[in-house]
Amino acid sequence: MGTLEVTAGAFTGEDRAAELLRRVEQDERQRARREQRATALGRLAFGIGIFLAWELMSGTVLDQFFVSKPSHIAASLWAMLTTEGLLYHLRFTVVEAVTGYAIGAGTGLVLGLVLARVEFVYRIVEPFVVAFYGIPRIALAPLFILWFGIGIASKIAIAAIMVFFIVFINTIAGIRSVPAQFVQIARVMGASEWDLVRKIAVPAATPFIIAALQITVPQAMIGAIVGEFISSNRGVGHLISRAAGFLDTPGLFAGIAALLVVVMLMNQAVTSLGGYLMRWSPKHGALRDVR
Amino acid sequence: MSGNDAVIRARDVYKVFVARGAGRDRQAFLALRGVNLTIGRGRFVSFVGPSGCGKSTLLNMIAGLVRPTEGEVWFESAPVARVNTSVGYITQDDNLLPWRTLQENVEVALEFRGVSAEERRERAAHHIATVGLRGFERHYPHELSGGMRKRASLIRTLIYDPPVVLMDEPFGPLDAQTRVILQDELLRLWSGTGKTIVFVTHDLVEAIALSDEIALFSRSPGTIKQVYQVPLPRPRDVFHIHADPRFPEFYDRLWRDLREEISEVDLGGT
Repeated sequence: MGTLEVTAGAFTGEDRAAELLRRVEQDERQRARREQRATALGRLAFGIGIFLAWELMSGTVLDQFFVSKPSHIAASLWAMLTTEGLLYHLRFTVVEAVTGYAIGAGTGLVLGLVLARVEFVYRIVEPFVVAFYGIPRIALAPLFILWFGIGIASKIAIAAIMVFFIVFINTIAGIRSVPAQFVQIARVMGASEWDLVRKIAVPAATPFIIAALQITVPQAMIGAIVGEFISSNRGVGHLISRAAGFLDTPGLFAGIAALLVVVMLMNQAVTSLGGYLMRWSPKHGALRDVR
Repeated sequence: MSGNDAVIRARDVYKVFVARGAGRDRQAFLALRGVNLTIGRGRFVSFVGPSGCGKSTLLNMIAGLVRPTEGEVWFESAPVARVNTSVGYITQDDNLLPWRTLQENVEVALEFRGVSAEERRERAAHHIATVGLRGFERHYPHELSGGMRKRASLIRTLIYDPPVVLMDEPFGPLDAQTRVILQDELLRLWSGTGKTIVFVTHDLVEAIALSDEIALFSRSPGTIKQVYQVPLPRPRDVFHIHADPRFPEFYDRLWRDLREEISEVDLGGT
């Protein structure tokens, strides 16, 4: 009788545990869904709130000439899109920013890798790198226009220099942060120099590199736009500065809105790449306590 | 297993380290003084001694990561002159690469050694199974427990079959239970392989339970004060090592000799 009771108890105990696990899983999934929905709703409400406040305050509390109105900006954006060839201009700006970004990030990465691995060379050039890094890079823009002309090349060069130093310096910092024991053990395991770079140094530096790639997305856009401001007859920067010349505030905001969309898309692309490359990080998918 | 067949020999090894102070301040200090030691093939040898006595330095010399300032460390038939890829090296930290899954971590040395993907997978699967980690192949290190990570770091070294394995306080950071379990597992993995193991530890019980010989280091600057043959037969039961009648006497002797080398400060004035 006693044994029977114990067996039965153990059986229902396991049943209960399975049931409990199922229930907690279900609750967790529901909670996650609710949380997601609440966040999305909150964002939407916040965005609408801003536009609504802007729309209502413009012309009443604030001078409409200076701040314009979302409805006017939308109209202006539409006009730009249909009659002023916004997409044509946008294409130039995007090509400049993306190409500049790719060149700047690529050279920064490769040069950073090489320099960080050769300690002696690094020690020699370090102060020079720091000095160049200290130059307000935007001040180089006129120089680049002098060198590369008023066409697309000078804007690419400006965007590239905006990106290059940040990626370069972060790559060096990332590689120098690689734990010495990783390198020593890999050597004992028989790793070649190339193995060390590819399988130890670069992955270990990835968090630094990703951070730099994210920070520099808007920097590339700044480079392209500033180039267009200084001298250009094409591109969104040109549209914006022309609108400013005509005191066309809605046109100005419309140009900025177009840029915003592009930068957000670029950001999203880099963030997704970063999330993929950093999938091993404890922040991704760590076990979470049940609340 | 004869003692005449030496794998590692240290001949009158001295090591001077230089501490870098502020600016140009440099201070040299002696870490090892006149170390002589012979380690026979297939032996399990432990280094014990007070903190900072140079045990790890000697281990690093065998691995070719540190060079003697004077004297020579021989491996097989030549002095160690560069990184020694004939050894396996296991440290206190597991040093698993956080961006690689368990399986990828176990395979990494084989990748360095140009083993084909198929063979790597097979050998990894075999080793993962021997330490009971099947089912965790795709986990990242941060998703594993301390004991599991330690097992992973053991097999990622054993997988390339190095004839000599150097272990620097490998079980130091583990809890007492996991420690003994892993000691038992290490003996199981080692027995019959003919591998030579050099094992640094602070734990005398661990040294006695595992080793054939124990080299006792003097206080810094370290030298080898004495080498003991552990009087316990194999196979050993690490869980009941205390129960062996020869254990207490040997332990007391070892502890008495070690104690002379520990400074009064570290003993807390007793």
